[in-house]
Amino acid sequence: MLSCKHTIAQGTDYLDKELSFWRKVEMKMHLMICVNCRRYVKQLKQTVVMLSKGQFKQPSEQQVEQLKKEYQEVSSKQ
Amino acid sequence: MTEDTLPPEDELVERLKNNDVVLFERVVKEYHSAMFGVAYSIAGPAIADEVVQEAWVSAINAIHKFEGRSALKSWLIRITANEAKTRLRKESRSVSLEAVDENWATDTRFTEKGHWAGGNPEWDISSPDDLLAADELQDCVKKHMVKLPDNQQQIINLRDVGGLDMDTICNILEITASNARVLLHRARDKMQQVVARFQRTGEC
Repeated sequence: MLSCKHTIAQGTDYLDKELSFWRKVEMKMHLMICVNCRRYVKQLKQTVVMLSKGQFKQPSEQQVEQLKKEYQEVSSKQ
Repeated sequence: MTEDTLPPEDELVERLKNNDVVLFERVVKEYHSAMFGVAYSIAGPAIADEVVQEAWVSAINAIHKFEGRSALKSWLIRITANEAKTRLRKESRSVSLEAVDENWATDTRFTEKGHWAGGNPEWDISSPDDLLAADELQDCVKKHMVKLPDNQQQIINLRDVGGLDMDTICNILEITASNARVLLHRARDKMQQVVARFQRTGEC
């Protein structure tokens, strides 16, 4: 039986579907009986989705204006 | 989270090729953050802004050649990563894979037998939208993202923030797939712990 520590170490491979068949079976068996690891896998997934949607750094107004100008200049030459 | 409001990919690209400056501004605001994360992790804080700006300029000049073989976001992230790589920071804070193994032995979340020492409580804030709406938590995540060792920071930015596939990432970072997976898990696990601690204690 996989330990909890070994189970969560495979969390990323599990979410990304990179585990071999038997490893996946082994992990699913553990998750079936272990609420702590089940929560961990769910939380890991929530963390990943949060990172994919997060806005950590907005461009400054000046940056945006500069890029718009650049865009219009290049577009008008196409 | 304005991603949903951008038009579908082919319409988006077509309009960008046809001088739609209003849409261009929205695209800049939507993808700037992810591009910044990638630039920051590869080229360092001092020139991250500059790298992103240069990446946008390269993208603007190449958009008419963009064929849509990947998503626009992936294309922008690749341009950013390549731009950043040419200006790679000299000093590196990478942590070796051996050091990752050392952490394994000292992980206080688990007993010697590998069971959860104090369980793993449910999160009060759990949907991604609610997580994103919690400003203090987001500040905390941001703070800890930049504290990750360089190689972990690069991979989590390219993969989870930037949305690239692992093959592309391995090419960019010149690492093997198995190393990439270890580093990615290490980084995600760390961020899970940051969120978990914040929810448990309210502290960053």
